[in-house]
Amino acid sequence: MEGLGLDLPTFVGQLVSFLILLGLLVYVGYKPIRKMLDERANRIKESMEQAEATKQEYEQAKVAVQEQIGKAREEGQAIISQAAQIGDRLKEEARGEARKEAQALVERARGELERERDKVIDDLRHEFVDTAILAAEKVINETLDKERHRKLIEQAMEESTTFKEN
Amino acid sequence: MAKRKVLGCSLNLIIIISIVFLILIVVSFIGGSVGALITGGEPLSIFAVQPPHPQLAAEHPFPNLPITNTMITAWISILVVFGLFFAATRRMKLVPRGLQNFVEFIYEAGANFIEDAAGKKHGRWFFPVCVTIFLFVLANAWINLIPGFETIKMNGEPLLRNANTDVNVPLMLAVVAFISIEYWGFKAKGAPYLETFFNFKPLGSGLKQLFTGKIKAGFAGIFTGIIVAFAGILEILSHFIRMVSFTFRLFGNMTAGAILTLIMIFLIPWVVPAIFYGLEAFFGFVQAMIFGGLTLGFACAAVMAEE
Repeated sequence: MEGLGLDLPTFVGQLVSFLILLGLLVYVGYKPIRKMLDERANRIKESMEQAEATKQEYEQAKVAVQEQIGKAREEGQAIISQAAQIGDRLKEEARGEARKEAQALVERARGELERERDKVIDDLRHEFVDTAILAAEKVINETLDKERHRKLIEQAMEESTTFKEN
Repeated sequence: MAKRKVLGCSLNLIIIISIVFLILIVVSFIGGSVGALITGGEPLSIFAVQPPHPQLAAEHPFPNLPITNTMITAWISILVVFGLFFAATRRMKLVPRGLQNFVEFIYEAGANFIEDAAGKKHGRWFFPVCVTIFLFVLANAWINLIPGFETIKMNGEPLLRNANTDVNVPLMLAVVAFISIEYWGFKAKGAPYLETFFNFKPLGSGLKQLFTGKIKAGFAGIFTGIIVAFAGILEILSHFIRMVSFTFRLFGNMTAGAILTLIMIFLIPWVVPAIFYGLEAFFGFVQAMIFGGLTLGFACAAVMAEE
């Protein structure tokens, strides 16, 4: 053992040195590195998850946009057809109204005409009566025979301006 | 016409270098101490190398201090390893660079190696001791390879010497490994771990059967019981022998390597020892790996659940 160099103080000294190294490395090396590696792993995991989430979000957004576009298209189509319908209806209504108005106009014109005609007839009748009265007066004034009577009426008729005009 | 290339140099250059090296080898051999003995003349002064005087015990370069040269070297190794980790982890960044990258590589390599063998939970227990042993042994072995390292003299003794060649250092590491392994075994299994060494249960049940009248079964039980108890004693022995083998494997390899290099320098001072330097660098790594790896292996065996 002497030749081998086995020696308790040296052994203890080396042991203490080694334990110091072990302790130092644990606190200065292994633990901070472990922490750093774990942190990095976490960070990478997080960012990958984030990327995944972003991708999913993007996909969802894409789908949503597509949906919205589809919906908008449908809506547009609906609006257009509705507008066409409304247009048709309006046209129909306008046509109806125009017809009605025209009818009313015609009605009115007809009424007016009839009234005018009535008035003319009325006037005519008045005038005729007046003329007849006049003739009668004349007849009464000159006692007449049948022949003379007729002549008188015809004369009166001829004299009446209204009959001539008509 | 393309010139043939060997090892990135032209063939001619390789041939010239080989010839020069060969001449250097022959000249240094003939002019050296061995050549002088053969030719009977005096060795040329630049080749005059003293034959190695291997001394197993560590020298005391300071007569008044109980400090051996191996202890000084161990401290230097400790400073180097600690300094490396300290410098690398002082300002750690999430994106590693330079030194931090390097120590992280060491850490991850060690962690992967250990966790492959021992699993995640036990790997975290074993990591500090196994890796520190590896780094310490490696640092001791490689620091020794710095040219001129062992030639610095103080009071007639070398000031520095490979700490692995001092039997106290391997023994110390073996003791650390031994205590750690037993501690982990106990921690993992609790009191039943002791049954690996002292298992008298089969013996007791055999005796019980014998006293309750089942003679045949009782004798069989006692027989197995004795075998199991004996296996426990063998287990104790193997754990201690393991410590001895740990010690002398490292000590023997390192001492032999150092002596071999010295002998080669004595025989052929030039060129050839460089090969042995390279070998020593490799063996240092291998021995560090073996020491750390065996500690890991025995630790795994100690914590493993018995089927």
